[in-house]
Amino acid sequence: VIASLPARRGGGLGESRLWLGVLFAIVLILAVLPVARLLGQAAGGGALSLLLQPASLAAAWNSIESGVLSAALALLLGGGMAVLLGLSDLPQRRPIGILFVLSMLMAPQVTALAFTVMAGPASPLLNALGLAPAAGTPNPLIGKGGVILVLGLHHAPLVTILLLAGLKTIPHELVEAASLAGAGKAAILRWIVLPLMGPQLVAASLLAFVAAFGNFGIPALLGMPAGYLTLPTLIFRQLVGSGTGAIDQAAILSMAMAVLVLVPAAGAAAVLARSATRRGGDRPLQRFLGLGRWRMPALALAWTVVGIVLLLPLGALVASAIAPTYGARLTPSSATLAHFAEVLWRQDVTVRAFRNSFAFAGGAALVLALLALPLAHALDRASSRWRNLLLPLIELPYALPGIVLAIACILLFVKPLPLVGLTIYATPWIILFAYAARFLPVVLKAPMAAIAQLERAQEEAAAVDGAGLLARLRHVVLPAVWPAVAAGGLLAFLLAFNELTVSALLWTAGTETLGVVLFSLEEAGLVSEASAVALSATAVVALLVVAVDRLGDRLPEGTLPWRF
Amino acid sequence: MERLSMNRSIAALAMAGALLASPALAAEGALVLYTSQPQTDAQATIDAFKAEHPEVEISFVRDGTPKIMAKLRAELAAGAPQADLLLIADAVTMEGLKRDDVLMAHEGADVSAYPEGLHDPAKFWFATKLITTGIVYNDAAPFVPASWEDLLKPEAKGLVAMPSPLSSGAALIHTVSLVSNLPEGWGYYEGLAANGALAEGGNGGVLKAVAGGEKLYGMIVDFMPIREKAKGAPVTFVFPEEGVSAVTEPVAILKTTKNPEAAKAFVDFLLSKKGQEMASAQGYLPADPSVAPPEGYPARDTIRILPFDPAAALAAEQDNRARFEAIFQK
Repeated sequence: VIASLPARRGGGLGESRLWLGVLFAIVLILAVLPVARLLGQAAGGGALSLLLQPASLAAAWNSIESGVLSAALALLLGGGMAVLLGLSDLPQRRPIGILFVLSMLMAPQVTALAFTVMAGPASPLLNALGLAPAAGTPNPLIGKGGVILVLGLHHAPLVTILLLAGLKTIPHELVEAASLAGAGKAAILRWIVLPLMGPQLVAASLLAFVAAFGNFGIPALLGMPAGYLTLPTLIFRQLVGSGTGAIDQAAILSMAMAVLVLVPAAGAAAVLARSATRRGGDRPLQRFLGLGRWRMPALALAWTVVGIVLLLPLGALVASAIAPTYGARLTPSSATLAHFAEVLWRQDVTVRAFRNSFAFAGGAALVLALLALPLAHALDRASSRWRNLLLPLIELPYALPGIVLAIACILLFVKPLPLVGLTIYATPWIILFAYAARFLPVVLKAPMAAIAQLERAQEEAAAVDGAGLLARLRHVVLPAVWPAVAAGGLLAFLLAFNELTVSALLWTAGTETLGVVLFSLEEAGLVSEASAVALSATAVVALLVVAVDRLGDRLPEGTLPWRF
Repeated sequence: MERLSMNRSIAALAMAGALLASPALAAEGALVLYTSQPQTDAQATIDAFKAEHPEVEISFVRDGTPKIMAKLRAELAAGAPQADLLLIADAVTMEGLKRDDVLMAHEGADVSAYPEGLHDPAKFWFATKLITTGIVYNDAAPFVPASWEDLLKPEAKGLVAMPSPLSSGAALIHTVSLVSNLPEGWGYYEGLAANGALAEGGNGGVLKAVAGGEKLYGMIVDFMPIREKAKGAPVTFVFPEEGVSAVTEPVAILKTTKNPEAAKAFVDFLLSKKGQEMASAQGYLPADPSVAPPEGYPARDTIRILPFDPAAALAAEQDNRARFEAIFQK
């Protein structure tokens, strides 16, 4: 009997070959089909001349430039915060760390809107402090500098999270040994910690570049008004300006983006995979960096950073949302909640957008969570060859910039589907499909980690008793890993709820998302209304974070970005 | 029996289709309006219409005229136009759609209250307002502009914002009006570009830049700054001495509408006294001259409108956009 039990890896596929086939077909449809369609279009269009137009080249350069410079800024700021949070005895580490990481969970378009209303001559905040630039001074954050700065600030927590995870793999014995040998703290940091963190530093900068390169909300709100176009905003402008007539050019540009982004993304993945196998010693790295008399300055610095990335922008949004109108003086007597009433009750579009974003994000998260358990289980039991083939494919729609996935979906669905003759273009289903494809790897991550930690004995015993695969999933695996499945679903909901890039190209009458109406209100000059939408959406995100955090203790380490 | 079950399955399919389709299309008697009005005005407009016709379920999609037209044209090309009604900035675009046989005439519309020449004589589109484009300035600005030429002054260097004809229908008409009436022609816009004027996005962006003090002068449609000034924004609108350009925000019915009676009711409502009074209450100059203009506007007969040739503008639409783009490309 024992000899016939499934082996730890590789075997055990017998009863579930069909089941596996179905699951992998779903992966292929969600992850591979859109990208293959885009590839076909770009290869068929073949017009390299479209790619070499001055506007395309300028946008490509702007994308690379803003990506590289913002990644450098994110590395500097995120690295500094990682040292303070991970290695030093900074007081109030936990609230500082949580707030810092939360700033990353605000939607990029919300962050961008908040920074514009915070920085200009009309800034209620700067005016209250008497620091506002004189009228007639351009908003310092509109244009290239603002795009780079806000991208860098927005992605700094990403760097911090990666570096904090990396610091845990360094054996504390190394620090002790160096310390005994008489090395100072600075020397240890420079000659022991920094070299060992090499892979994480490389991966973090690459990922910050990838995130900035594909970002749409920030260059759309801060770059477009000054004519500073990146590839995503160029594609967006061409498509909304000339309809699907520009789809050939959009496809070519999307392919160029995909190539430019997949090289660093794959590089980061490879570097992280290699460094993950390195074993730490008995004790992980302790906080050896006593700040001494620098404690208070360091604390002030850390709170300043949190203030700049989260508290001040939120404060500016509040001020802008309760001001009578953009540019008008905000006084206690002129403050009003009318803009909230307007967007939460009166305006059908914004009310509908809240409903739509809940429905799309919720629908995608639910479907993906249901799919995640059997899929994560199957991937865990599949041979490593299959896993190494499927995992990168699943990652693909998430690694690609959102605008590339949106173009791929348009190409895939603009004609009625073959065989069934249904068309899902210009319906809610195209957005649901795109969300499902994009956020599948997000949902899958936590259940996969949880299942990998699972003891197989119980499941094997159930199999011996004749329990089929579904029964085992339902009664053995699910009870053990449901928090991970739920957390994966909630994280996907959070990301989809914040999303703008994909829906900006896929929405139609009646399927506007929150990101779309925020962008559209801002463009129409209704800044106060846009701020009210932004704050309301951020409130939903904050509630979600609290909900997911409740699950935190039952989750595999590293599932929740703000727990470290 | 066979027949009956067939019908039933068709009905079931239609139900499924309705569920699949966007919520806006679900109810019977539904209308979709594509408009370039700001969201708050579009909502107020359809709310007022719903109060008169509670049985009609109307929703709207909003974007700048060129963008909403791109959306519509893409849908027309795909054979699935989502809109029943258009309420967009200018008659030139409407003439283009009429030429392309996309619109439906509304023969029964009552236009007796309106001067001749305001609406399409063939009744394919109808003017609903008078929206002029003039100059806005921030109250902190060093001088009060009185003429279009003032925007070329060195004191205004780098301080002027204007909508791009690529984003705004009114801006295209405005550009054509200025270049055909100012003595410098296109040279005026070359001067603006040399003076560091910014031409990006639509009128909303101009309002944001000037109300926010990032720019101190702007070309803009009248109702935005006049309305925001009343709410306390530090902006003032000027009708320049040479005259202003004007669009009429026409409404039209698409001939593909599935609900022509409800669509006609919407047009009739906008043209009625009540509809015109609503436009005035929203802060727009009503198209019906007998309806009083809103607060903040000068007497109607004192507003000088620059002459404008729509046929020529339609013929040269692409050239004008390209020329504008060439001047303001960095």
